[in-house]
Amino acid sequence: MRLPVIFGGVLGATLVLLLVFPILALALAVTPGELLAATSHPLFWPALWLSLKTTLISLAVILILGTPLAWWLASSKHWVARVVGLLIELPIMIPPAVIGVALLMTFGRQGLLGGALEALGVQVIFTTGAVVLAQVVVSAPFYVRAAASAFSGVDEELLIVARSLGASQLQAIRRIALPMALPGLLTGASLAWARALGEFGATLLFAGNMSGKTQTMPLAIFSALEVDVKLAVVFSLVLTVAGGLLLAGLRLAKTRSSSHEPRGFL
Amino acid sequence: MRRFALPGHGFVAWFSMLPWLVPTLGCEPTASKKPTALVVFAASSMTEAMREVEEQFEKAHPTLDVQLQFGGSQALRLQIEQGAPADLFVSASEAHTRALERSRMVFAKKVIAGNELVLIVPRENPAGIERFEDLTRAERIVLGAKEVPIGAYTEELFDRSREVFGDAFADAVAGKVVSREHNVRLVRAKVELGEADAAIVYRTDVIASEGGSIIMIPIPRNLRTRAEYSAAIVGRPGEVANPGEEAFLSFLRSPAGQAILVRHGFGAR
Repeated sequence: MRLPVIFGGVLGATLVLLLVFPILALALAVTPGELLAATSHPLFWPALWLSLKTTLISLAVILILGTPLAWWLASSKHWVARVVGLLIELPIMIPPAVIGVALLMTFGRQGLLGGALEALGVQVIFTTGAVVLAQVVVSAPFYVRAAASAFSGVDEELLIVARSLGASQLQAIRRIALPMALPGLLTGASLAWARALGEFGATLLFAGNMSGKTQTMPLAIFSALEVDVKLAVVFSLVLTVAGGLLLAGLRLAKTRSSSHEPRGFL
Repeated sequence: MRRFALPGHGFVAWFSMLPWLVPTLGCEPTASKKPTALVVFAASSMTEAMREVEEQFEKAHPTLDVQLQFGGSQALRLQIEQGAPADLFVSASEAHTRALERSRMVFAKKVIAGNELVLIVPRENPAGIERFEDLTRAERIVLGAKEVPIGAYTEELFDRSREVFGDAFADAVAGKVVSREHNVRLVRAKVELGEADAAIVYRTDVIASEGGSIIMIPIPRNLRTRAEYSAAIVGRPGEVANPGEEAFLSFLRSPAGQAILVRHGFGAR
């Protein structure tokens, strides 16, 4: 019994070190003076604000569009649902840069929908809307996937009982399925939100790089890297801390929502 | 659930694994057996030209194997500062070579080529731009970010155009800029895709563009901004020189090397 425990511990510790060391290195590379200097850099606040704003809008869009979809994916046994479930996971494995090009080919002037959008006087590319769109595409699959698996864990009989007691289908979903699936939904939401915050490749290609408009924190970090590595390091550290705090908040909400259940992993 | 890893035992075991973990992580690219590798880091605007230089140079020096790596000058500089095994660094901007000089990582440096800025528009030219002064007609202009060489040169250009054409022109143009891309190839791509009505790139980027999807418009003589490319022999202070470094640097400045660069649109040094 002892040996497997040690062996497992070594493997686990290796991964923990691999994941935590680089972040620790970031933190150790920065002095308070540099932190102060970087936060007064003209790129800093517009990028941080834009990142928070766009990722929260993206998250709202994902929750509104993704929750019904996840419910359908979890409850339908039709082959179409299986195919759709597979299709919407594609963006997870496609490189973000490819997604950026694909979005250009869809919403750009020469794109599939370009002509129609132009006729309506709508310009997507190079706007904050493009940033949101890119974030939604790359991060929605994480939410839908987690939400679908949370919904499929809801005991179907409970819903049937609720219906037999006179609840409408919507009521049964709202009162029973949603609360039961909530921890899973929050996990999915935090995964999707984190992915949106770190989004770089698709945004770079599809939305461009304009301070205050399309330059999110990851893009500002890339720009800063070209001036001064230290600047980029501080920007990265701030993004990491902001992201960490928000994720911790979501985790806390999740723990609260599932406090009646035995505590599992995190 | 039972917890993993009693810290005491886990960490001892972890540290005992370190010696064999480290060498496996630092895997080297498989170098060729016979010829000596000569690693050249070059600005992405030099991609096509340097490939041809590699071919010609290797023909003349069969004992040397040129290994090219392309990227933004700033990214390459960062990699060299962090210990990337580069023998030569061909930069689109003096600033980056100078930064390496300050860290005493440059052993020799020569200007090898010049380049100039041009205006490009998509072949369909939706904004009807015929001359530099027509830039105000564009709905969307894409430029390089101020932090990268192409963007810095573009800033110079627009500062000069402010003096020549006045504030109204310069402000009108600045108001049409929709994106500041991270490198010159991204700037060009936005015009090739027809997403931007106009952009400023290097002359060589137009020559290297395939498919004829862009039109080049020269910039008036009095605004002309010239970019200079330098090649530097780089390495850590006290490093043993690679025998091919000097040879490569002189080849770039030789008539044969210069002919290649000129063919790809670079001005002679």
